[in-house]
Amino acid sequence: MSSREPRASGYFRSSYDQGLRLIETRMQWTALMLFLAALGTFPFIATSFQLDLACQVFLAAIGSIALMLLTGYAGQVSLGHAGLIAAGAFTAGILFKEFGAAFWITIPAAAVVGALIGLIFGLPSLRLRGLYLAVSTLALHFIVVYLGGEYETKRGFSTGIMIDAPRIGDLLIRDRKIWYFVLLAFAAVSLLISLNLLRSRTGRAWAAIRSHETIAEALGIGVPAHKLLAFVISSSMTAVAGALFAYYRGFVSVEAFSLFLSIQYVAMIIIGGMGSLLGAILGAIFVTLLPYMIEYAVGFLPNARSYAGMLAAFNYAAFGIVMILFLVFEPQGLVGIWRRVQNYFLLWPFKQKPLGGSRK
Amino acid sequence: MSALLRVEKLEVVYGRAITAIQGITLEARKGEIVAVLGTNGAGKSTTLRAISGFLGLDDARVTEGAIHFKGKNLSNRPPYLITKLGIVLVPERDKVFPSLSVVENLSASVSGTGADRKRLEEMAFNFFPKLAELRGRTAGLLSGGERQMLALASAIVCGPELLLVDELSLGLAPVVVDDLAQRLVEIRNTLGITILLVEQNAAVALSIADRGYVLENGRVVLDGDAARLRNHPDIQEFYLGGAGERRSYRDVKQYRRSRRWYG
Amino acid sequence: MQLAINIAVLAAIYALIACGYVLIYRVSRVLNLAHGELMMLSAYLLLTTASLFSKNPLIAIAAAIFLSLCVGVLVYLFLMRRMTGEMVLAAVLTTVALGVLLRGLVVLVWSAQQQNPAQALGWVNYSIPVFGGRISAAGAALIITTALVYAGLFLFLRFSRYGIRMRAAGQNPLLAAQRGISLHAIYALAWGLSTLTGALAGILISLDSGLDSTMVLIGLKAFPAALVGGLDSLVGALIGSLIIAAAEVLMIYYVDALLSDVVPFLVLILMLVVRPWGLFGTREELDRV
Repeated sequence: MSSREPRASGYFRSSYDQGLRLIETRMQWTALMLFLAALGTFPFIATSFQLDLACQVFLAAIGSIALMLLTGYAGQVSLGHAGLIAAGAFTAGILFKEFGAAFWITIPAAAVVGALIGLIFGLPSLRLRGLYLAVSTLALHFIVVYLGGEYETKRGFSTGIMIDAPRIGDLLIRDRKIWYFVLLAFAAVSLLISLNLLRSRTGRAWAAIRSHETIAEALGIGVPAHKLLAFVISSSMTAVAGALFAYYRGFVSVEAFSLFLSIQYVAMIIIGGMGSLLGAILGAIFVTLLPYMIEYAVGFLPNARSYAGMLAAFNYAAFGIVMILFLVFEPQGLVGIWRRVQNYFLLWPFKQKPLGGSRK
Repeated sequence: MSALLRVEKLEVVYGRAITAIQGITLEARKGEIVAVLGTNGAGKSTTLRAISGFLGLDDARVTEGAIHFKGKNLSNRPPYLITKLGIVLVPERDKVFPSLSVVENLSASVSGTGADRKRLEEMAFNFFPKLAELRGRTAGLLSGGERQMLALASAIVCGPELLLVDELSLGLAPVVVDDLAQRLVEIRNTLGITILLVEQNAAVALSIADRGYVLENGRVVLDGDAARLRNHPDIQEFYLGGAGERRSYRDVKQYRRSRRWYG
Repeated sequence: MQLAINIAVLAAIYALIACGYVLIYRVSRVLNLAHGELMMLSAYLLLTTASLFSKNPLIAIAAAIFLSLCVGVLVYLFLMRRMTGEMVLAAVLTTVALGVLLRGLVVLVWSAQQQNPAQALGWVNYSIPVFGGRISAAGAALIITTALVYAGLFLFLRFSRYGIRMRAAGQNPLLAAQRGISLHAIYALAWGLSTLTGALAGILISLDSGLDSTMVLIGLKAFPAALVGGLDSLVGALIGSLIIAAAEVLMIYYVDALLSDVVPFLVLILMLVVRPWGLFGTREELDRV
């Protein structure tokens, strides 16, 4: 999201409308163009493995942006994110397997199913908050995954559902390069939707609810409606990510949607930095790449061979440690670090920001 | 006699912005009852919190000065250790554990073991015989006055040398307040405890205190013997509700207005 | 009859685990989502002590339990202590992270294979006939242990000075500190006790039915039991465990075995909708503006 504060370069806003603009200065335009150009050329220079990583990051980013909307902005904690991803994936899988439905049907269908489940996930939030809400979403996660597993066994797909590569018109999406652009487009659209929501009335209502529900209600904000809206939008986006995940893998199975996946998504928004879309993206990158970094690091250990079977365990341990380190030492996440670095250079040679302009 | 508690040029800042106390100096000698008076926002509660070590909770900190108790500097000590040193606070509200019974409330207090503790518990029941009748009653079901008694009793079981009492009279009927004030005197006389009494109700506080301090806007504006303070024209006018025509305070108008509101 | 015995054993398991959740929640309002992992860790510790004291199974068990208590205290001192004063949710997420870490460590140290501590101790899990059904020796031990633990905890919280202080600290930490109670000591004690009871559960379950990482799921399923009864009530945990265990066993018997992992959570959601603070829990205060 564009900064809600004046730039240090001496750019000042002269009307309220300017505060709503996503891109304010020419510098930002240039940076954006350069970034887009880099994203556009990446698939033509990257290896297949790097492309796969990029695709995974995009998928994770959609999910983490969705969770950030819900938790980081609207303040509703969810420990059942994997359940929603599973719901999306199974919607795509079931529609494909039972009815041979096409890509352009299954994706919107996943969005609709996600929205409905989001409504169900959100209902407890009308009565519960904080811890209890987290617990109820946790329970719902188990129920969704159970239903998926039940479907698998009852229909005899006990190892999972195979899905063919999707087709849009004449274009078969199988090549990694094409996937890259498709997923990039979906991630960009989710980001834009979120940016627009957040700078509008809805985003402000969420912020109010997050800081204090009772006061938000006293200010005339429809708290229940906005809470449900947050759940519906977030779940719908997440389910789409789940459906894309199913297509990308060509395979759906309940094993992929363990509680650990939910924890990973929560970790993304914590490690990235609560209350920041940039944080959601950074977190998605970090958490997606972490296992590969660990695999690489373990390769340097003596007797690396003997640890090969234990990579999953290394992953768990390292993941837990990283999460603890962020929670204890850097609650603001990667974004917090990024802002400190930014401030350091903006303010140099000074060290402190003036009191009034300090970021919370 | 040397001072048991000495607060020296204390300055406390909330959230890096609001200076609640700007250089307060006060002391309490052994066996004294010291009253600290002032309106809302004068800095009374902040002073108490600084002494008992609870500033950190409200994002406040001591920026200048020091607090000495028996010659020891109290800064950077966690609250429970301050209690163990012998300073016990009876807070303004939430002063008992509502789901625990009266006896359990007393036994939650930490102090020495064995005979020493037994003596203190007996003492507490002696000062407040009513609590002995209510032994098994859940504290949440007690009346306001009984709660205040229980709070004082639990504080005594901690074995304090300095008792900090925040708003003894808050929300209590005048009869009850007078009674409790007499108990405080009794406690001081028997145990030789020093009592720092922070009060809005100046009449009650000055009636039992030996000395007093008047705080305003985070500063001590008057101090001295309780008897002298009682007769001081400003105190008469602004705190005891006497008549007077003086205009020596900057905020006289505001005082007037508030006095009218309070009736 | 066998059904009733199964329910009783499962209820005892859940109750023994649930009191760990309750202890920590009651004292510090933190939900320890790593409880299942800590419990599993204790069972693995038994595996190690069993090989150290192979002559003397009882000493091995005692050593494992003592080590678990130390682990609980250390977890508080080195990790959770830093989270006091932070948002409750951050603390809960820290326990989640701790759980993930422990899961990894356990596999790294003891491998992911199914283990059998009873064998390591040289014990055979006899099956004893009672009232026309059968119960395993470990199952019987579970029921007895749970009864003893609950009685002990009840007496401790009711009559011992530290127990009363624990209740006091849970109710109003500020006032507790003013009365000279060291909150860190109390919290560390709560963590120690909680992992201790968890260790008892983990060890007995592993003696009964072997040991691998699925034990975490049992720990997680005991959590609904604690919540249904009310997160801050021991009596509630006991009754909640009975309800959850009965629902689970009956559902498996009459409906579908696959349901076993969801039933506790279904009951949990039902409870959250009807009475979020549980059967015996205290209602959380409404927040003031």
